[in-house]
Amino acid sequence: KEGARGGVGGGNDFQWCFSQVKGAIDEDVAEADIISTVEFNYSGELLATGDKGGRVVIFQREQESKNRPHSRGEYNVYSTFQSHEPEFDYLKSLEIEEKINKIRWLPQQNAAHFLLSTNDKTIKLWKISERDKRAEGYNLKDEDGRLRDPFRITSLRVPVLMPMDLMVEASPRRIFANAHTYHINSISVNSDHETYLSADDLRINLWHLEITDRSFNIVDIKPANMEELTEVITAAECHPHQCNVFVYSSSKGTIRLCDMRAAALCDRHTKFFEEPEDPSSRSFFSEIISSISDVKFSHSGRYMMTRDYLSVKVWDLNMENRPVETYQVHEYLRSKLCSLYENDCIFDKFECCWNGSDGAIMTGSYNNFFRMFDRNSRRDITLEASRESSKPRAMLKPRKVCTGGKRKKDEISVDSLDFNKKILHTAWHPKENVIAVAATNNLYIFQDKIN
Amino acid sequence: MNMEYKVEAHRIMSISLGKIYNSRVQRGGIKLHKNLLVSLVLRSARQVYLSDYYGGVCVRSPHAGGVEWGEGDQMDSDGSRSTPDEHGGESALVSDDSVRIPEVSVNGPAAAVEGQDIEDLAPGSDYNCQQSPQEDVGSVKTAVSAKRPDASPSPSLSPGAADAEGENQEGSGSAETGGPGSGSEHCVSRSENSQQGSAEVTATCCTRKRGAERSASAGSPVKRPKATAVPALPPVGGEGEGPEDMDTGNVSSLITIFGSSFSGLLSKEGAQPATDSEDSDSGKICCEQMLPNLNPWSTAIVAF
Repeated sequence: KEGARGGVGGGNDFQWCFSQVKGAIDEDVAEADIISTVEFNYSGELLATGDKGGRVVIFQREQESKNRPHSRGEYNVYSTFQSHEPEFDYLKSLEIEEKINKIRWLPQQNAAHFLLSTNDKTIKLWKISERDKRAEGYNLKDEDGRLRDPFRITSLRVPVLMPMDLMVEASPRRIFANAHTYHINSISVNSDHETYLSADDLRINLWHLEITDRSFNIVDIKPANMEELTEVITAAECHPHQCNVFVYSSSKGTIRLCDMRAAALCDRHTKFFEEPEDPSSRSFFSEIISSISDVKFSHSGRYMMTRDYLSVKVWDLNMENRPVETYQVHEYLRSKLCSLYENDCIFDKFECCWNGSDGAIMTGSYNNFFRMFDRNSRRDITLEASRESSKPRAMLKPRKVCTGGKRKKDEISVDSLDFNKKILHTAWHPKENVIAVAATNNLYIFQDKIN
Repeated sequence: MNMEYKVEAHRIMSISLGKIYNSRVQRGGIKLHKNLLVSLVLRSARQVYLSDYYGGVCVRSPHAGGVEWGEGDQMDSDGSRSTPDEHGGESALVSDDSVRIPEVSVNGPAAAVEGQDIEDLAPGSDYNCQQSPQEDVGSVKTAVSAKRPDASPSPSLSPGAADAEGENQEGSGSAETGGPGSGSEHCVSRSENSQQGSAEVTATCCTRKRGAERSASAGSPVKRPKATAVPALPPVGGEGEGPEDMDTGNVSSLITIFGSSFSGLLSKEGAQPATDSEDSDSGKICCEQMLPNLNPWSTAIVAF
């Protein structure tokens, strides 16, 4: 039964269980190994991660074993390659980080797989292809590759294709560079499978996948006088079905939906989503915590979800004045905003994701906690990605943060939370209840339990 | 109650300034988004601080202001000096009475350097002030020269004179549009207050936002909010970490590190009346006088 049931767990529906963890166990984490993006492909067969060192690692799910038909396939390393290198912009005396900000898969059209990966400035289209045969029996060279002495060739033969150990090759097919003055925060493949958009702090560009020397600027919010700058673009995404529609979120907590049919330059939005601020919760940091760090359309295309510092909101595209659902991720941090500002945690950009049926959403928090919300039952659960609960098929125990008063057993107090262990990137398999959670340099994979 | 908010606002402002400063040396260049958010916090804190400030907690006298800024500085052509609270909310040190500030935008080398246009100077909105011990002046000038291709490679220095090209000279304070390609640059140096033969420039107050000059001052909040705007320079603000500045209190030292827009603090060396025992107080009072007079929104946001 492959349908995504979308339950959250904690009840009779199902339980989340540990499946795998990837990455080194050392306490000493190299900065380059910190995972910066996680993304399943359209079928869920492949799982890609990018890290701060500019590398991409792709995991492939093993076929289910006939011996154990109920066991789910494991993800094993399929390909590893260096996508981006550090660069230096000599004109501006700026170093360009090699950190992979986003990976987006293209829909599969042939045997090869394609993905887009981006750092702050440059987007690359990578082709990942398998080679499991090689030609043998060349006339002019022998098996080692050395050239044969022509005088010794007395007959001709036709080379034949022989099986070989599977080799997975990644090659950069397109490099989309020099189109962004500011730091790229998002890329999104359009439903037409021909174009994609890339967004930086102030501009959004539309590309054709075949054309690297040109892109169309479709949003530009840079003011004539930079002193008047009040907001930046924080995320952008194409609509999953309507290839003319995209949304972008801002640092002011607003989302704009644009229709590319309306004008070449979509500075004027078609829809404007904003929730009125609650004046009673105003503080020095109100503006920071309202900044949207991620926006994701539901698979259906009817809703979109935004993540700000303390909450996740689900919006109906037909209603602009407020979200239809709001979920508190870690409201207990509201009284700690000043400390979180001091240690920079308030600037952490958490992502969020839908499950395949759009019935549940997931996002990360601190202390390696991550949260899931069931939209139907309104249940929520907090789970932890930790080595302690990393025994094969071990069930994950729900966690709870004690917000005040007497701390119960198994609860953790707010002050004991480890703010260095943050889960910013999570991904949900498009069809099944399999999730990938990036905890610093480790990738945890959890699945639901099969009875 | 008011005092608590003021203290908290003060603290948040100092933290914010520290973040803006640190962002200059971070890998990958300045992050526009983060610095925009920090500047918003800075503005909010400033508003709280100001609202409390003008609630009558502190009383500044023109005399006290003069003491902080040192004698003989802030001279303009007619020699009059403004008081700090003449231009509420704007930086009073750059009042039109004290220093002439023509609003001429500087394109040219600065623009070429940063690849961006330089915004006009709004009256009283910003200025560059720098207190540089001699050993750091050299590095500043090198940086400035490097950034301004048509500046002379070795700007001539005279005791007590202003530093690099385009910056002004003796403390007669007359406005000067010197320096190739600098447009208008108006600086008043407190040269008469410096010891002879020591620091060549003790305080140079430039009332222009000049791109190259901005780039020369470490972590200057005058920088504009562009991620690619800031060249990698050795932090000139290192001078601010000299012992004579760090003991004046957290915020004032941070501000000195920035080295700009806080000319009141620069009087530390030049302010003869300030005795050693009063250093911390004068620095702090000076800082507290200065902070409300800033327009941190524009200074911080244009820092990038």
